Amino acid sequence: MRVHIEKVDSKDQEEAVIKAVEITDEISGAVELLEGDAKGFAVSQDGKTYILKASSVYYIESVDKKTFVYTRQGCYDTKYRLYELEVLLGGYFMRCSKSMIINLKKVRNVKSQISGRIDATLLNDEVVVISRGYAKEVKRRLGIG
Amino acid sequence: MNKLKLWFTQTMMISFAILTGIIIEGLVYSIFGRDDLASFSLSWLQLLSIVLTGALCSVPTVLFLTDTDIPRKKYIVRIAFHCLGLYLIVSLFGWIFRWFTNLGGFIMVTVIFFLVYVFVWTVSIWLYKRDDKKINMALDDIRDEE
Repeated sequence: MRVHIEKVDSKDQEEAVIKAVEITDEISGAVELLEGDAKGFAVSQDGKTYILKASSVYYIESVDKKTFVYTRQGCYDTKYRLYELEVLLGGYFMRCSKSMIINLKKVRNVKSQISGRIDATLLNDEVVVISRGYAKEVKRRLGIG
Repeated sequence: MNKLKLWFTQTMMISFAILTGIIIEGLVYSIFGRDDLASFSLSWLQLLSIVLTGALCSVPTVLFLTDTDIPRKKYIVRIAFHCLGLYLIVSLFGWIFRWFTNLGGFIMVTVIFFLVYVFVWTVSIWLYKRDDKKINMALDDIRDEE
């Protein structure tokens, strides 16, 4: 496959377009890598340390200065601060309130409440709140803003 | 957004909305020949009353509508209090600054107030639903399969 790299001026302009006859494992891997899903980070549970793949994370929450990572399998804690994970994970991981980062790929649907807050139902049926102030950023990340 | 910033932006928005309403009213009167457009003017007292009304009308918003983490029923009760608070402020300022001088004028202000209030909520809910639809469609394209 031919690869073209074009230099752009800002991070906002960065994008990758892949033209392929079919989506092979290699292409899926490349997409994951580009989107940051293949990144891993250290978490711990019951005194044991694991490397968690970003693609398994549903959301990350900060409570009393501790950071908790939620996956389908359970909850882990990590030494990373919320703002560090926001930078590290990037892509479809975004701040949805002051104390939470959500993985947009794990959201089944969203529904606005009359108060303006947005309830996001995740693939594990948990509901997390997206503050109205972050709605614009959600749309931007999804390419509809 | 902190409460002071919200109060300030609400004050600006409401003042601008009232001013726009007055200008539209002036235009309508001039179109139907009841008033001469060239003679349309606003005194400093009227402008002051507009800004004061805007500033005071922002207080119920900051008091009742900033906490979004409450159940739907409670929020609807708060909207009712918000509406009532705004109506009392508009009625009081309308009486003090002579926006109406008789019962007919008061009824007109009341009707316009409730029409605007319902219109603002209807548009807000419509915009929320439109956003939801757009976001859900975009989520369909990126969602992980599990």
